[in-house]
Amino acid sequence: MEFDRELIVRAQSGDPSAQEAIVNQFSAMVFRLTSRFFRNREDVEDIAQDVFLKVFARIDQVRPDENFPGWLARVTVNTCYDELRKTRRRKEAMETYGPEMAGEQSVAPKEPDSLGKARLALQRLDAKLRVPLLLKEVEEMSVEEIAKTMGLTQTNVKVRLFRARKKLQSMLGGSEGRSK
Amino acid sequence: MNGMKDFFESERKRVFKPDAYFTQRVMARLNDRRTAAGFQDHGFWDIVPSSTRPVLALALVLILCFVAGEVLLPQLPERGMVESFLAPEQSPGESFLYNDTDVPSRQDVLHDLIELEEQ
Repeated sequence: MEFDRELIVRAQSGDPSAQEAIVNQFSAMVFRLTSRFFRNREDVEDIAQDVFLKVFARIDQVRPDENFPGWLARVTVNTCYDELRKTRRRKEAMETYGPEMAGEQSVAPKEPDSLGKARLALQRLDAKLRVPLLLKEVEEMSVEEIAKTMGLTQTNVKVRLFRARKKLQSMLGGSEGRSK
Repeated sequence: MNGMKDFFESERKRVFKPDAYFTQRVMARLNDRRTAAGFQDHGFWDIVPSSTRPVLALALVLILCFVAGEVLLPQLPERGMVESFLAPEQSPGESFLYNDTDVPSRQDVLHDLIELEEQ
């Protein structure tokens, strides 16, 4: 993605027009990445706003020669990851009062049975396995890009992808076996 | 795993886009944060105009010196014990110094001494 490096320098000095230009230029990218992890438009909007607030709070950390879109993607994925972990903790707490309150399925639109099963299986995956899998399969990022975005080694990403696929396979195979 | 492939395919198409006012909302939140941070950053010296700072600093130092002197230096009575006893009125300081109620009366002290002698 092409962008004016001068914008970053101006944003670092606190220029509001530069900050506005950055939000305008990168909001679509942040929305697209956040959409991978959240199904609700309001959630996506809230997270995207948080991402930009974080970005401008830490804009001094960006070096002029740094790949800004890559850095922004890292902040976005980390923010989503943190939110997923918080949601999981909330969900676990809510499950104490009744499983029907905790599921995201209640707000999910109606979809074919196979997609629903796949979504449910994916939701059951731990966030640390789910995030790299979504980045690989949906965002079509390379292992190297995922490693940079998540701050992991490439080997670590490969291990997580392998475990995620294996778990999904066992979950889908198991559920299909039971349903027959 | 075909279900998963279809699912990933459908996920690729599911993308939310920012509306026309998204940037304005972000900028409004940024301004709110900046204002809140601005209030936190302003300490006592930032509120005081720079021209009055030396005067205020000197006044503060003098007040502190006075308070320290009052607290640390012992108060000396203006009159001696006899003069104070003969005067029609005693100041609270003199009263505290010369008429301490915790000290036993002269009769009691004498009584105690006689008792000790007898023993």
